[in-house]
Amino acid sequence: MTLSPTRRVAVVNSAQTLLTPSWSGRQHIDLISEAVNRALKGTGLRIDDVDFVIDSGSDFLDGRSISNCGFLGAMGAHHKEESRVEEDGLWSVGYAADKIASGSASVGLVLAYSKPSESDVRAFWTGLLEPFTQRPTGLDQFSAAGLYAHRYLAEAGLTADDLRPVARHAWEAAARNPFVDVDEVPAEDDAFWSEDVATPLRRSDMARPVDGAVAVLLANAEVADQIARRPVWLTGRGSAIDQHFLAAREPHSLPACAAAVRSARRMAGDSAAQDFDIVEVSSTSTVGELMVLEALGLAEPHRGVELFRDGGPRHINPSGGALPADVIMATGLARLHEASSRLSGRTDYEYDGFDDARTALVHGTGGFGMQNHCVVTLEVAS
Amino acid sequence: MSRVAIVGTGQTVHARRRTDVSQAGLAREAVVEALADAGLTMDDIDSVVVASGPAMFGAVNQPEKWLVDALGARYKPLVRVTSGGGTGLAGALAAMNQIKGGSARRVLVVAYDKLSEGALQASISTLYDPFWGREFAVGIMGFSAAYWHARIKRLGHTEEAAAMVAVKNRHNALVNPKAHVKREVTVEEVLASRPLCWPIKILDVPPISDGACAVVLAADEDAESITDRPAWIHGMAYYCEADNAADRSMLQSEPLQIAAAKVYKDAGITNPFRQFDVAEVQEPYTCFELSYYEGLGLCPEGGAAELVASGATSMTGELPVNPSGGCMGANPIGATALIRLAEAAMQVTGKAGDHQVPEASRALVQAGGGWANLRGVAVVGADKN
Repeated sequence: MTLSPTRRVAVVNSAQTLLTPSWSGRQHIDLISEAVNRALKGTGLRIDDVDFVIDSGSDFLDGRSISNCGFLGAMGAHHKEESRVEEDGLWSVGYAADKIASGSASVGLVLAYSKPSESDVRAFWTGLLEPFTQRPTGLDQFSAAGLYAHRYLAEAGLTADDLRPVARHAWEAAARNPFVDVDEVPAEDDAFWSEDVATPLRRSDMARPVDGAVAVLLANAEVADQIARRPVWLTGRGSAIDQHFLAAREPHSLPACAAAVRSARRMAGDSAAQDFDIVEVSSTSTVGELMVLEALGLAEPHRGVELFRDGGPRHINPSGGALPADVIMATGLARLHEASSRLSGRTDYEYDGFDDARTALVHGTGGFGMQNHCVVTLEVAS
Repeated sequence: MSRVAIVGTGQTVHARRRTDVSQAGLAREAVVEALADAGLTMDDIDSVVVASGPAMFGAVNQPEKWLVDALGARYKPLVRVTSGGGTGLAGALAAMNQIKGGSARRVLVVAYDKLSEGALQASISTLYDPFWGREFAVGIMGFSAAYWHARIKRLGHTEEAAAMVAVKNRHNALVNPKAHVKREVTVEEVLASRPLCWPIKILDVPPISDGACAVVLAADEDAESITDRPAWIHGMAYYCEADNAADRSMLQSEPLQIAAAKVYKDAGITNPFRQFDVAEVQEPYTCFELSYYEGLGLCPEGGAAELVASGATSMTGELPVNPSGGCMGANPIGATALIRLAEAAMQVTGKAGDHQVPEASRALVQAGGGWANLRGVAVVGADKN
């Protein structure tokens, strides 16, 4: 059951670092403080005006227990209320929005980061698995995506080649995004498109881990109306988790994602938008992205690939989405940043064409084989 | 603003090594008891917050994902909140915000640790900065000993006073059916026990336990319809301080003082020693309980040794502290803070059995973790406030 929030909450500003496969010259605290400083800049708020900090990161990726402790200074959390939500940063938005909606705080900072270049990403994913019956079988993030893909493609009557437009759409958008480190889409004959990673999936089908940090400033209506030119209101929020055991889940769909969007729509109410001008989703593979879009109701089951014909949908992942830039613990929060930047008209991108966009749906995922899902809907005044 | 209450609590039998259950089974055991206490089923639960110690302690990454099947939480919102050793209270605070923010009405909080399955002090040592801090640090004990030594010199927190904490808490644990260590000790035995990192001696140190705790929180009217004895939450906060810097004296814990001031204001507490009937605090070493007395304003600075020596914080004193035995009775780190909250709720609802403080109606809860830089405080009461 999801109820209407008691008070309105808005994104008043947000920022991210460049998302790149390796920030070799900078430490976690450098990335975190860059994102935090840029999120504060121009708002008239100082870190002292921030009531609390909620952050997302991973002890396992950081190689450090209670790793939030090591970054409290960089996050500006000193002598504030702080908690770590060890899940994608979009879940931290849920925590922060609840705290503001309750009236117990007026300004909150949400921060998420990852630096997978310093870590063994495969071990990170494998460590998610229950250790007795799943981990010893060799299941990992790749094989889980491959198993989903096998069943999905068979059910949809597609082949692996049919997934190419999904990846191409993502990488072309990322190449236009100055905050994602992609110079150009790999050439047609590049091994990127043919190297098998988890049959039937190829390297181009898998999300690329990147380093980066994302910061989002949330505030109640009193503050947001004062300091933001166009506050981006959080209209609905919902999340839902699936079973852990892969064999117990649905074979080629994501019902937890569907449950999350239902909750978000219920919170937003009947008067809220049913169609979205911008959709930003997370996924760990091309097939994952199709299943997410279908679960969100943007395509019929097993027909998601049709969205990507003729150059693809302009309003879906205009940032490039998660495939070219998976910040792991911050991917969903990056989606929120991208969508709210466009809605509020504060993107620094050269061409965007989203001037009239008023509504957005943002999706994040977490866990082994996309077990957990979170949806946030956004709206700006016309 | 709507009130929030605790309507059910559950705990596992805590033990050094629970070989009969997995991590998921351990968490489920506490959840089954908490739901039964509340008279609810998982169908009644809107949202689940999992709190556990640092994931490396149990060697499974994001272990809440594994718990879903055993808890029956499929398709519900479920998230893990973690904040060092006080993580159970941080989880309860997240649940309270979900209810007050209007996104849920009945939230299950489950906290657990299965410390028999990980390398505890090795994991704790990774807390420190890999370049500047790690090579100096040995788990959590080294700096705790250094700060206690400073407090001995400056605040009179003597080894004898800390030993009295050990005697008191271990005595209280004797009648707590969930406690894992039940052994009476004397001040002399504590003082003569083997030093691990002087002045910390082995009997100043709690056990390492496998265990779980679950608490069901509910919004105002729901709480009143679920039970005729809700434990109302009068205030709850969890604050941090950033740096282990040279100018951090640690004679008094700043985040504890900030959290206490915030919660006392919300709860209308002006004279904590008089207004509370009972307190549950998370003491990773005996010396910390002395420090909390002062940080929580139960006595003046430098008054902790006198307070414990007076017997005021013993079971028959004016303000019993840790009638459950505290961490000395059981210490599944990730669950320990939630156990303090659950024990406080049990006290104000008269459900504490043999360790019940007679007619307790308002309880103080303290928890914390990290490198003693994360500190939480809560107040629960029988009255709606």
